[in-house]
Order: sequence, then structure tokens, then C-alpha cells
Amino acid sequence: MKPWLRYTLAVALGLVAGLGGAAYTVRSGALGSGQSIGPWRTGADFGTAEASARTRAVVAMAGLLALPAREARYYTAVTDDAGAALDGRCRYRVTGGNLPARWWSLTLYDAAGYLVPNDADRFSVPGAALAPGERSSWTIRVAPDRQTGHWLPTGGIDAFALTLRAYLPPDGGKGTPPRAALPSIVKEGCA
Amino acid sequence: MIWRRLAPFVVGILVAVVAYDLALMATPRLLMAAAFDRISAGGVNRFTFTPLATDTSRAIVRPSPDLAYSSCPFDLAGGPLLVEVPPVPASYWSLSVFDAETNTAFVRNNVDSGGGSIRAAVALAGQAIPDGYARVTVAKPRGIALVRILVEDRGAFPAIDVARRRASCGVG
Repeated sequence: MKPWLRYTLAVALGLVAGLGGAAYTVRSGALGSGQSIGPWRTGADFGTAEASARTRAVVAMAGLLALPAREARYYTAVTDDAGAALDGRCRYRVTGGNLPARWWSLTLYDAAGYLVPNDADRFSVPGAALAPGERSSWTIRVAPDRQTGHWLPTGGIDAFALTLRAYLPPDGGKGTPPRAALPSIVKEGCA
Repeated sequence: MIWRRLAPFVVGILVAVVAYDLALMATPRLLMAAAFDRISAGGVNRFTFTPLATDTSRAIVRPSPDLAYSSCPFDLAGGPLLVEVPPVPASYWSLSVFDAETNTAFVRNNVDSGGGSIRAAVALAGQAIPDGYARVTVAKPRGIALVRILVEDRGAFPAIDVARRRASCGVG
């Protein structure tokens, strides 16, 4: 093979590998892939110039216009506590207590990051939906069919993600909450 | 001889590494430009008051259904952008400004402002701003100013929607 052809081929393959690798990194990166806390993933440098190029690219793809940590922390789960992928045909029990935030909400998204259609037109459970007496110990059931108590519909889709937004964290977003401070996600069964 | 055989592989690897880094660095700017185009369908240098997010919302990925968003895509070519957000009947509301690289240039919420109005002037270096505004300097003319208002009960949204439309955003 002629030398110029070898170099041309090398440059072309390098471009394909580099651009393809970047596309894969951005598309497969979870919002908040910087730190893992149980099933939750988060990061403390969203929306800042200090974030790495990878974090900035993933946040731009998965959560454009995300706020910096002192204003809001975003915790995203794509698996349950046992590490199994969240499946919209299954029922989950999400339990937690007082969260490190002035206000919070739990939202369900499809794999592309959009809200999921469901008969109840319900897309999240905000902390304000909890009665004052249950805020220190609460349960939200995530399931395709209607549940008693606090219910977050999955719409029966194959795969989903849960995002916990915790606004105005008391530590200014500087710390990493311990595992016990964030909710647990336990699968109860599948249809 | 060995070098002549290995050199194309080394070149290919270097090209791959550089292409990977450049693509990652360009991604936020490209996605922000695309978001700017989508959001600016309602106009530039003015607020668009978006309904509460549902499963049909596609303007921004991962919208919060608990927040009422008012967005003002801006272009500072004609001068600084003056933003004023009066109080609304909600327990949380904020103004944030994102530059063309997706960096947060400014965030202020109702707790920071003591419940009073938030006034910010987004400007390029060298652009003068009026008194009474918090200066937000950005490096490039385009970006997005975004108001988030917590809607704890969807039944309260009509009153919040009326109140939020008193916010203003325009080139001074």
C-alpha cells in the first residue's frame, strides 16, 4: 500500500473512532455520572466552568440548563438498590425521610429524558405532596398501575429513570450526602 | 523500517484523541445553539411563558413538571439585556442566566432577594448598564435567561401564571 494511502486511511479511521467515541460518551453518560450514592448518581459541578469537558457535554445532552449545586442537586437513578435496571412494567417501593433540601421532587423520565404519558397525567411526586407527619418517613410506589398512597406512574415503558431534585441544599451543595440520606428503591414485582 | 510501519497507527491514534476532545468541547455550544433556536421561536430578548411540562414537552430535555419556566433567549448585539422578575405567589422562584457555553453566569432566588424583585443586566465586557441592576458579564452575545417558579399544586398555577407575566426582559 502506498504511504500516502496508509496515512489517509489512518486519519480517516482516527476521525471515525474519535467522533464515534465522543458521541457514545455523550449519549451513554447518565446525568450526574460523577458520584454514585447507592443507585443515585450525581455531580457537584453542573453548570459551572470548572466541570470537565465530559461532564459539560453529558449535562448539555441529558440536562441542559441544569443549575449549579448551591442552588440544586440532581440525583438520577437508572437502577434499583440491587443494581437491576428500572423497568416500567415492574412495581417499586421508594422510601425515604427528610431530605437535605429546602424543597424536593421525584420525577420519572423515559430513556430520552422526557416525561412519560400515563392515564393519571402524573409525572412527579413533590415533597409538598407529603403530609407534615409523614415527611420524616415516606413511601412512594412507582408502578404502571394505580397504587394506594403516593403513586408515580411508569406508563408501562421498558426502561425509565428517576430524578430527585433537591433545591437549596443546606450545605450549599458542597458535600456528598451519605447513602442513608437518599431514598432507597426496592423492586416489589413485575407484571 | 519499524517506524515507517508504525507511524500511520500513531497518527491515527493522535487524530482519534484530538477528535474526541474537540467533539466533547464543542458539544455544549452546539446543543445550546440548538436549544436557543427552539426556545427563540417565541422571540428573542423577550420572555416566553411556557405551560407546565407534560409528556408532550420537547423544548428542553428533563423538564421539571413542578416548575413553571419563563425563558428569555437573548442576543446582546444591540446592547445589554435588562431583566426584572417581580415576586410571585410561590415558595421558590429564581432567575438564572446561562451563557453560550451552558455555564451558569448568574443565579438568584427569592431567598437571596428577601422576597423582593430580582433585577439583572446581562452585558458584554465594555457595555454600560443602568444603576439598580446586578451586572452579569458574559463572553458571547447569545444565551438564555430562565425563570423557575415552584408550583406545588397545579391548581395554583393560573394565579402564578398571571403574576409571572409581570416579568420583563429586553435590550436596554
